[in-house]
Amino acid sequence: MTAPSPQRAPLLILVSWGFLALWLLLAAFPFLWTLWGSFKIEADFFSKLNWQNAVFGVSTMAQTGSAFTRGGYHGAWVESGFGQAALNTGLVTICVVMISLTFGTLGGYALSRSGYRYALWILIAALLFRAMPHITLVAGYLQPFFQLKIWGYLPTAIIVLVAINQPFTLWMLHSFFMTIPRDLDESALVDGCSRFEAFRRVIIPVMWPGVITTGLFSFLLAYNDFAVTAMLLSQDNQTMVPKIASYLGSTQAAGHVMFAVAAVVSATVPLFLLVMVFQRQIVSGLTAGAVKG
Amino acid sequence: MAPITLKNLSKRWGKSIAVDDFNLSIADGELLVLLGPSGCGKTTTMRMIAGLEEISGGEIWIGDRLVNGLEPKDRDIAMVFQSYGLYPSMTVYENIRFPLKVRKVPAEQHRERVLRAAKMVELEGLLDRRPSQLSGGQRQRVAVARAIVRQPTVFLMDEPLSNLDAKLRVSTRAQIKNLHHELKTTTIYVTHDQIEAMTLADRVVVMNKGVVQQVGTPLEIYDRPANTFVAGFIGSPAMNLVDGKIENDVFTADRISIAGLKRAQDGPIMLGFRAEDASLSSDGSDIVAPAYSIELLGESSMVTVQAGGTLVAIKAAKNFRTGIGSEIRAQVPAAACHLFHHTTGERIVL
Repeated sequence: MTAPSPQRAPLLILVSWGFLALWLLLAAFPFLWTLWGSFKIEADFFSKLNWQNAVFGVSTMAQTGSAFTRGGYHGAWVESGFGQAALNTGLVTICVVMISLTFGTLGGYALSRSGYRYALWILIAALLFRAMPHITLVAGYLQPFFQLKIWGYLPTAIIVLVAINQPFTLWMLHSFFMTIPRDLDESALVDGCSRFEAFRRVIIPVMWPGVITTGLFSFLLAYNDFAVTAMLLSQDNQTMVPKIASYLGSTQAAGHVMFAVAAVVSATVPLFLLVMVFQRQIVSGLTAGAVKG
Repeated sequence: MAPITLKNLSKRWGKSIAVDDFNLSIADGELLVLLGPSGCGKTTTMRMIAGLEEISGGEIWIGDRLVNGLEPKDRDIAMVFQSYGLYPSMTVYENIRFPLKVRKVPAEQHRERVLRAAKMVELEGLLDRRPSQLSGGQRQRVAVARAIVRQPTVFLMDEPLSNLDAKLRVSTRAQIKNLHHELKTTTIYVTHDQIEAMTLADRVVVMNKGVVQQVGTPLEIYDRPANTFVAGFIGSPAMNLVDGKIENDVFTADRISIAGLKRAQDGPIMLGFRAEDASLSSDGSDIVAPAYSIELLGESSMVTVQAGGTLVAIKAAKNFRTGIGSEIRAQVPAAACHLFHHTTGERIVL
């Protein structure tokens, strides 16, 4: 038995490593480029003469005396109130995640344990709402919000984002609950729990990966939202993503485009940290089957 | 400790009837086995007693309380599930303690009671493990310990041995029997395994298609099956059932002829006898048929003969050997024969 595989294996390994390296480069390049460029001035990063200016920072050197400048960050955070936008995003995101998960876990559990047929129809209706473009909801709400004088407030944006996100959390958590055997609930009921106690003491402890994964997706939806927050919040009370968009729209005012680049970097860092912290739970949540009795 | 009374208990799902008009009194401290093939309504009956399934009609009394409207937690029962239903996020100790904790038993009693329950099922060394680190048999014992820790009035066991391998099943069966003897708690035990039913039960309820077929001690059920379903379900192998007719006290069927059935009415009939009641003999003439198979069981051999369209099992000595197809002669004493109505299958009492 002479095996041809040991001869072919090194090449295969080389190819797969090469492919991985190329993919990593392609995936990471935009982020690294933006990070690097955020410490330059507009004349370098958006240089029409030579792209190498963005790398070496010729104009930045000439203007500030150093190859790196914190000008973009200073402009965004100090001069133009990006801090307020970051705070707003934080508030909106946390509220959306908390509210979505509360209703999602309770509703998903109830639907997964319901013996009635309408549970399925509720889920299908939820899917329908999820499929609609976000902007359709906003378009319908805009006029009533003006009339009720609740336009421009964070809670309004939070409610609309929860409405958009809820069908998804319901579905996702419902399917997690379906993987948890009913015997667990029933054991708890016989052992002396009420329905809610069984849910809280027995089901939730084995549901953490599902809750964290769903929570993360809710977080991303709220954090990255543009359509809803741009339409429902006023210029001086924006969240980060619309704020960044408004910087980009200000090409006439010199330097503000660099505010956008710095703001983008600032907005991306928390996402990296978040994913890194919850990495393990997310993976075990995504691979599901979280419960092995 | 309490007697249980079921009155006209029934369960319907839409038009299909899962349990039909179930009446039974279970004595205090009795171990009652619900036995039947899958889908016969035995588990549904137990789940209704536990409060996990809504009752369509009838009443359930535990002691002197009507429990129809009570939540499972208020019925003072404990249950062992087929798949054990252990809490994966808790250690063995916490699993066993859970009923005490939930029911607000004073905390200073927990340790002693958990240890006592764990000792009864020999789990002392495993209290810090999680369920995922245990073998099937160990998980099953944790489930039993969790059930006995609170000393409830009623135990419900839903096929607790069906996920164990054959050897473990035998030893655990003995353990459950012993546990019941020690605790003397009213127990309802659901199984489809007739050997489990025979070995454990004070009384057996045989069910089929939602209807109770027979209630009796294991011996009664074995010796006097109420109908052909029970006769065909109990015993290993099950009772031989042969379609034939009686004329002048003689039963005849294809290759079978048994005399001496006194007082039996003439006409078509279903005759049953157990393999161990028939015996091979070279001058026997009750059964004369070709051998179909010969299986060595260890302490004996099981000879199956083909009597027309029916296979008939006859117990033989362990050293009995013959070729397949060769003629077998056997005797069946008339006193060991059971007669059943040829259409309804009900037992005919002579």
